[in-house]
Amino acid sequence: MAKPGVSPLTAYLFVAPCALVFAVFTVWPMLFNGWLAFQDYFIASRNTAWNDFANFLVLADSQSFHIALRNALLLLLTVPLIQAGALGLALLVHRPLPGITFFRATYYLPVVITVSIAGVVWQYVFHHEGILNWLLGVVGVLAPGDGVPWLESSGWSLVAVMAFCFWKYVGYYMVLYLVGLAAVPRELQEAAMLDGAGTWARFRHVVWPLLAPVAVLCSLLSTIGALKTFQEVLVLTRGEGDTMTPLLFVYRAAFSGFNFGVAGAASLLFTLVCLIVAALQLRLMGRHNPFKRDE
Amino acid sequence: MMRVAPRWPLLGARYLGMSVFALFTVFPFLWALSVGLAGDPSGIWHFPGAFIPADPGLGWFNRVFAEMPFFTYVGNSLILSALTVAGVLALTVPCGYALAQMDFPGRKLLFGAILLTLTLPSEVAILPNFVTISRLGLVDSYVGAVLPNLASAFGVFLMKQSFEQVPADVIDAARVDGASEWRVLWRVAVPLNLPAVGTLAIFTLVTAWNDYLWPAVVFFTRTKLPISVGVFNDLTGPFSVSTSLVMAAVVMSVVPVIIGFAFTQRLFLAPQALPARA
Repeated sequence: MAKPGVSPLTAYLFVAPCALVFAVFTVWPMLFNGWLAFQDYFIASRNTAWNDFANFLVLADSQSFHIALRNALLLLLTVPLIQAGALGLALLVHRPLPGITFFRATYYLPVVITVSIAGVVWQYVFHHEGILNWLLGVVGVLAPGDGVPWLESSGWSLVAVMAFCFWKYVGYYMVLYLVGLAAVPRELQEAAMLDGAGTWARFRHVVWPLLAPVAVLCSLLSTIGALKTFQEVLVLTRGEGDTMTPLLFVYRAAFSGFNFGVAGAASLLFTLVCLIVAALQLRLMGRHNPFKRDE
Repeated sequence: MMRVAPRWPLLGARYLGMSVFALFTVFPFLWALSVGLAGDPSGIWHFPGAFIPADPGLGWFNRVFAEMPFFTYVGNSLILSALTVAGVLALTVPCGYALAQMDFPGRKLLFGAILLTLTLPSEVAILPNFVTISRLGLVDSYVGAVLPNLASAFGVFLMKQSFEQVPADVIDAARVDGASEWRVLWRVAVPLNLPAVGTLAIFTLVTAWNDYLWPAVVFFTRTKLPISVGVFNDLTGPFSVSTSLVMAAVVMSVVPVIIGFAFTQRLFLAPQALPARA
């Protein structure tokens, strides 16, 4: 691939500004976290001292870190829910009916609304006398006036966070499934229809095989997203009511506890988990990335 | 193309399903709008009547303007978003172009490193970046708020992939004509790649506008805050005593986003690239 007249020097000039900023604000933080993980960091004097694995022992003993890990696993429950919802929505709106763009755009809207502003509204939805409790009363799940304090109770607050995440992100995955559905050749569907295949048979044997790689990609993105749940909790509950998550733990340790070493240790562990998930992603997807463009 | 005319009950069920889910998506904001408009706040917790404002007026909105530096927040969001978009394009366009159309030692390594970080949690970088920014003396400044977001891995990825679609013949022809590489990029390659550059600009704009965490960490001065942080702080702080005031401010914060989204939804709904999730 010889390029006429382009010296590597020119290429480096083009790449350098981006690479520099990337090195300082993306690569360096990972190295810094890895280093912090093994240090006592004294904020006032900016002195540090190697403390072996003391920070990890703190994590092992920390009640709130255990809760954070448990919640990260529980939040994985949102993955199948969001995926089922997103696929259902995509199937609902993938046909070009009148007004369909309006519906698609409406479903996507929560994705582009600032998490903090959306969080404020949902705090009121989850209010003791809010819409949710009223609705549950109407449906008959709850006796009137017997509302659940969604964000304050330790059992329900995580469910509230999950509901918020579903609302916020289902439209994002819907679009990915729509892209996948658009790639299903119409002729295949029509051929199946002529062969007398019913709706379910067509979905199961024509659409799904082509959509499966999209579903795998979406599930993995959604898994990483669920593990990374953090700002959603910060704006809904500020971590009250047992809604601690790994990234919230890192944030708290750094900016409330000023324990940079422990924050670094937790960051390092969390980064490793994400790396494992990403490696899994590459293994599973291989070269079959449905969104990769052909050369 | 064969078209089977859908029977109307099925079609009706489809529209009913779509409408129900649309309601699920917007009900918090419908209620917020109703509460914000209601001059008489006594009924805002009585459903379903709360969805129709009693004694409607713009009183609460006027009070938001009077008591919150709303336009300052909007202005700050505009400044931060504009700086971020300009910075991301200035860095990632040449970088992506070089990765796609030039050959140099270390090219694969650089691209691999950038790809790798796409899957890593950027949130764990907040503490180290805060340390870096404070050593640079940039805490509580617009530059400090923007700088860590500029080397967008997603941006480099998108630019590299899209510049690869520009035919090498066209680029080589310009090179043979003696144009400098910088000229080839901006006069030949970018004009041929405008859709992707535009897509990146819009996605970056949305991400920057919605960014909450980093500005919340890096800014101390209230009048420098963007809307995502300033409004949130006010609504969960001094304003929280009046639900009507909170909802009026929420509606005001959401309306510019809805308008902007309405004009650009095509980019999001039929994406040439995948925007980041949050």
